[in-house]
Amino acid sequence: MPFNSVQYFLFLPLVYLVFYCVPDRARWGVLLAASFCFYSALKVPYLPAVLALVTLVTYAFGIWVDGARTQGAKRAFLWCGIAANVLILVGMKYLPFLSENLGTLAKLFSPGADVTPVQALVAIGVSYYVFQAISYLFDIYLEIDTPERHLGHFALHLAFFPKLLQGPIERSCDLIPQLREKYLFNYENARLGMLLFTWGLFKKVVVADRIAPYVDNVYNNVHAFKGLPLLLATYAYSFQIFFDFSGYTDMALGSALLFNIRLTQNFNRPYLATSVADFWRRWHISFSRWILDYIFKPLQMQWRSLKNWGSAAALVIAFLVSGIWHGASWGFVIWGGLHGLFMACSIFYKPYQKKLHKALGMEKTKLLKWWQVFVTFNLVSFAWIFFRAATLADAWYVASNLFNGADGMKEAFLFLRSHELTMTLVSVAIFVLLSALFRQEKLQQLFAKSAFKRYLAYNSLLFSLILLAKYGATKSFIYFQF
Amino acid sequence: MELKEQLNDIFCEVFDDDDIRISEEMTANDVDGWDSLSHVNLIVSIESKFNIRFSQKELLTFKNVGDLLNAIRSKLG
Repeated sequence: MPFNSVQYFLFLPLVYLVFYCVPDRARWGVLLAASFCFYSALKVPYLPAVLALVTLVTYAFGIWVDGARTQGAKRAFLWCGIAANVLILVGMKYLPFLSENLGTLAKLFSPGADVTPVQALVAIGVSYYVFQAISYLFDIYLEIDTPERHLGHFALHLAFFPKLLQGPIERSCDLIPQLREKYLFNYENARLGMLLFTWGLFKKVVVADRIAPYVDNVYNNVHAFKGLPLLLATYAYSFQIFFDFSGYTDMALGSALLFNIRLTQNFNRPYLATSVADFWRRWHISFSRWILDYIFKPLQMQWRSLKNWGSAAALVIAFLVSGIWHGASWGFVIWGGLHGLFMACSIFYKPYQKKLHKALGMEKTKLLKWWQVFVTFNLVSFAWIFFRAATLADAWYVASNLFNGADGMKEAFLFLRSHELTMTLVSVAIFVLLSALFRQEKLQQLFAKSAFKRYLAYNSLLFSLILLAKYGATKSFIYFQF
Repeated sequence: MELKEQLNDIFCEVFDDDDIRISEEMTANDVDGWDSLSHVNLIVSIESKFNIRFSQKELLTFKNVGDLLNAIRSKLG
């Protein structure tokens, strides 16, 4: 039941209605049951069972980590709890990849070897709640958080449907206290939630889904193109994935707000970042914070005697993990590795960079800022090639043919019948205009504007959704698969 | 010299700024250039100056300069 489906448009108000009507003590039960129904709607019977297993295992280990008398015992429980979660994740997501690569390796040493590849399982949502479970155990071990004794609240914080399939990856200490609070109808939250939801829907079905056919046309058959169409499709993908994922996040945040739950903001205008490190402070924020807190920092501290080299190695490993988290394929590994490498290089380049800017007299100038934004956007877009391409060979072909003429330009655009192209451009133009009113962190400010401006914005959104949305060929959210 | 003053000297040296005056409530947000990379240099300088070694758990739970001071004090104690 994706957020842009008719079923969800009925499901959300229905859940809200039941939630509103029952007494406070039963509300967590309504949300928990709704979340499991939502998960069951994927029609993969083992998924709710996996969620229940992760919930029970993490609940028990949380209490054991906290209750252990010695540091050694605490650490042992922590690692057992993490190992159990990682095993579940590996079993659900990585066995086919591991068996395939082991098979290739085995064939290298003994050509007759035959390793039967493992069938892939559907693992939608698993990597999100497993990461959340691991952070919960870590925080209890570090005594930043205390274990949640109420199994219902605990289960709900992992299963809460607005963030179940694609995050944000919430920290327990942020979410559980909100689940315990008494619900009182809050008009501001209700209207902000609905506006966020609609804005996210607009980003997804009007903008992302309109850009998608062009990207798919080129990326599904990269060898038919050379040069410019590959470059344009790569830039287009950078925007498609942003609108797709940030649209989803807005819809998740908006849904949660109806129940007075504030989820973590996942995006902050990422393509205005002035460095790759800055990009990760603005893109998929809840995820990069997780990688930073639980992988990068512990490794960096472990290797602190190596100074910059230790930090660089920690960055590369943290971002390789980030790549693998997205999926079991070499494309994601290279994508993560590239980001790690960009940042590791910047550690060593930074002192010279400062001197260079000083020598050129460009320190703190606007021109320098925009140059940095341009370079960062291009580095990030280059890495997206490995994220998007169907195979490593395709990715390599795109990367090595970006500036190699303009073969296939006509074919790349041919399928875009003239009115389709116009509608895509109009959609993007409306997005740019509305963005001026809808700066994410200032969305509430719209409510303080004059009725004329407010209704102009509401109606532009609604009419765009009716007239410009890409219906019929609705694509699932990109981050759905992770 | 008092512990806080000694720590202040290390801050000035690591962040290359003689005007830093540390306080217990101070966090990374209050010091220009205190990011995760300079944080490592700060920790390594403190460890070598006082000849102590922080545990991973301590390093991951410092919230402010006060926590840092308490940890140093308890190790020197």
